[in-house]
Amino acid sequence: MGAYVVRRLLWLPVLLVIVSFSTFTLARFGPGDPVTLETQKSRDPAVVAEARAKRGLDRPIPVQYLRWLQLAARGDLGESTLQKGYSVSELIFPKMWVSAQLSLVAIIIVFAVGIPMGLLAARLAGTWIDPMIIGTLLFLQAIPVLVVIPPLIWLFAVKLQWLPVGGWDGIFAVYWIGGVVAIPIPNPHLYIPLVAFTIGGFVGVARLVRITALEVNLEDYVRTARSKGLSETAVQLRHVLPNALLPVVTVVGFSLAGIIEGSFFVETLMGINGIGRLTFEAVTSRDYDVILATTVVFASAFVICNLLAELVYGVVDPRVRLGATRG
Amino acid sequence: MRQNRMLAILLGVLAALVLVVGGLSAILLLSGRGGTSGTTSTSETGGSGSAAASGRLRLAGADPSTMDPHLATDSTSAEYIVEVFSGLVTISPKLELQPDLAKSWDVSPDGKTYTFVLRDNATFHDGRRVTADDVKWSIERAASKQLASPTAMSYLSDIIGMPDYFAGKAPGISGIEVVDASTIRFKIDAAKPYFLAKLSYPTAFVLDRKQVEANPRNWTRKPNGTGPYQLTEWRLGERITLTAYDKFYLGTPKLKEAVYLLSGGSALTRFENNELDVAPLSINDIDRARDPGQALSKLYQQSTQFSISYIALNSKTPPFDDPAVRRAMGLALDRKKISDVTFKGMLAPASGILMPGLPGFTPDVKTLPYDPAAAKAELAKSKYAKSMPTITLTETGGGASASPDTEAYVAAWKEILGMNVEIKQSDFATFIADQQAGKLQLFAAGWIMDYPDPEDLLDLKFHSKSPLNDQGYANPEVDKLLDDARTLQDPAKRLDLYRQAEKIIINDATWLPLYFSMSHQVVNPAVKGWFDPPMVLPRLRFIEVTR
Repeated sequence: MGAYVVRRLLWLPVLLVIVSFSTFTLARFGPGDPVTLETQKSRDPAVVAEARAKRGLDRPIPVQYLRWLQLAARGDLGESTLQKGYSVSELIFPKMWVSAQLSLVAIIIVFAVGIPMGLLAARLAGTWIDPMIIGTLLFLQAIPVLVVIPPLIWLFAVKLQWLPVGGWDGIFAVYWIGGVVAIPIPNPHLYIPLVAFTIGGFVGVARLVRITALEVNLEDYVRTARSKGLSETAVQLRHVLPNALLPVVTVVGFSLAGIIEGSFFVETLMGINGIGRLTFEAVTSRDYDVILATTVVFASAFVICNLLAELVYGVVDPRVRLGATRG
Repeated sequence: MRQNRMLAILLGVLAALVLVVGGLSAILLLSGRGGTSGTTSTSETGGSGSAAASGRLRLAGADPSTMDPHLATDSTSAEYIVEVFSGLVTISPKLELQPDLAKSWDVSPDGKTYTFVLRDNATFHDGRRVTADDVKWSIERAASKQLASPTAMSYLSDIIGMPDYFAGKAPGISGIEVVDASTIRFKIDAAKPYFLAKLSYPTAFVLDRKQVEANPRNWTRKPNGTGPYQLTEWRLGERITLTAYDKFYLGTPKLKEAVYLLSGGSALTRFENNELDVAPLSINDIDRARDPGQALSKLYQQSTQFSISYIALNSKTPPFDDPAVRRAMGLALDRKKISDVTFKGMLAPASGILMPGLPGFTPDVKTLPYDPAAAKAELAKSKYAKSMPTITLTETGGGASASPDTEAYVAAWKEILGMNVEIKQSDFATFIADQQAGKLQLFAAGWIMDYPDPEDLLDLKFHSKSPLNDQGYANPEVDKLLDDARTLQDPAKRLDLYRQAEKIIINDATWLPLYFSMSHQVVNPAVKGWFDPPMVLPRLRFIEVTR
């Protein structure tokens, strides 16, 4: 399996070069570049030419790309034009960290709630509860994030004043009981963004688990376990759940890679300093280096997380031998 | 088998944990909600402790795109820059040119030589005196080929030798002479009275040579400036703190500290939660602010801004090469009604091109009046009356729906003139690129003044030779007025030339002026002397916070 992992990881640089080159070229074909925006009030051809030359934008694209690649290989992802004087790494990683924290908590909640829901629905298939669960979760998914947040802010932050109106403060806050004992609780800043992030995710996980669990429930070994006299709870937890989880492992892989994407809507509406808003602003202001760096980081995260998911799958499912059938 | 059981147990525990902790904390928070914001300890961004500090102003803000005065092109960056840095002259809150680092200046009789004498007590934040060498170095750094500043040519090219220096053809700017440690002399290429106004712009601000040369990439994090405030904290995306520089040469600033909170959601809500001292009002809030029965209305302030929104008609593309078509479209716009309906009267209908408060402004209404009958008559005169080519109005936007006022104009043109105008939206960068290439036939845009002089608008946009003239406008009469006004020393006569030019330009109708922008804010009563100037200028040091 070690050889398998190494082989997979060796593809990563190749993939990254392909992804980065495509993004690089596509970005530069779009109308306008950072210099266009900077010089919009001067339009002196000499000024524009100088500004382009300073950024290396007057060289042919492959040459520009190679220059970027050289620097990136050494860890220098370039300088931002949206936020001058800051390197791309300084700009994106702290924001990715904020978005990642929020998304990670969201993922935990989505799976912690979605999996039992799916199991329950499968167990109660045939009754009215099964479609009701799935129907409710589907309904929640259908509500757009943009629509969910303002009413929540209005109700909980403005009217009732239970929650803050926006901002980010870390995942935990300290709550003093009676001014004497301090306990960590989830930070109130999280609640509304978490609702926005999670309500759409439950149904995907629940349906996946439900379908698999339904199949598993019909398997021989489950029938054997039941006929042996095992309690239904034991059957569910010891036989159905582990097998129903297998496809979930793959989905977790995808989801984990997405934690560094952030959400433009949530971050803008709640005033959170995350990567989603930055990515959008980078595109509209043609901040090439930021666009490229974020794309490359996403691509790497995707590959690595999927590889991890595959490895976990291989560990969890004894029937799978990774790399065994490959030459 | 054992692995699977472990996995199952772990997941079960996790699920239980989430539900229990979430539920518990929800209960705890809700039951203690009266004291929640006091009992949960939030880090500084929460700001519950900020209410106690006196002399501290809390504002909403955005990250500046740069803190380097020689590179800044946007007003967000300028807002911070004018507090941290300064130049030879500045603009006072009454929009007058005032001495800043220079205590006085002398203009030669031919108007081409300016001699500035620096103050004895002008210092950088680290206490070092500002000398004429610092001024010369700063201007040359701003104008350097290596820096490739987008604003240098616009603001410094009147100085003799600057264009050559910018092109890399000369070792320095010959027109700047250091007479002695406190005296510096500028020679400009013609007797331009607006040269001083241009020097008030950040491109001409003074920087600390040692700091910039030692740390070219990162010096803007903790700049050693000459302005009334020091940048003491800048947490990207979170907050910026400006602290008063006690030894500021024009007097210790009244306001000790200004904090800009860069994240955190709706500004008005934070204002009402006493987290911010000043908040802008959007169209959704304006009714509450205008209602005398609401507490908010007593805190409401509004002021005009030196910015104008307009529709431009490219006279190089049909049908706008025919002035009758342009005038017809101008006569069909009911600005007042559209502003009242789509903007709830938050924008002032433009009475001309120059804004109220700008030198050269006259209160009479110069724009084409709303006259549907006259509009139809004009159109009938046009050679395109029977066969109108397709017209596309381009504006910036996301593409989902047109701005409400644009829809109103298009509807008016259809109703009154029977013209079909398509609306196209581009994102900002695409719009700018097309605008520069002269590809736009009809477009909606805006202009914000950089210095309080009509030259900044009339000359730059309407002179036939100006690179910023993107409507293909060329009127020799206007060119003559503008050329003459450039070097006329008598301010009254000069402004009169600009007024004449403005009238002709409006009648030629390649611009349909729409609205003058206005600022609508609510201000905490503890803040004394707050004002929102019509353009960015240093103002924090005039404000007091009594808390």
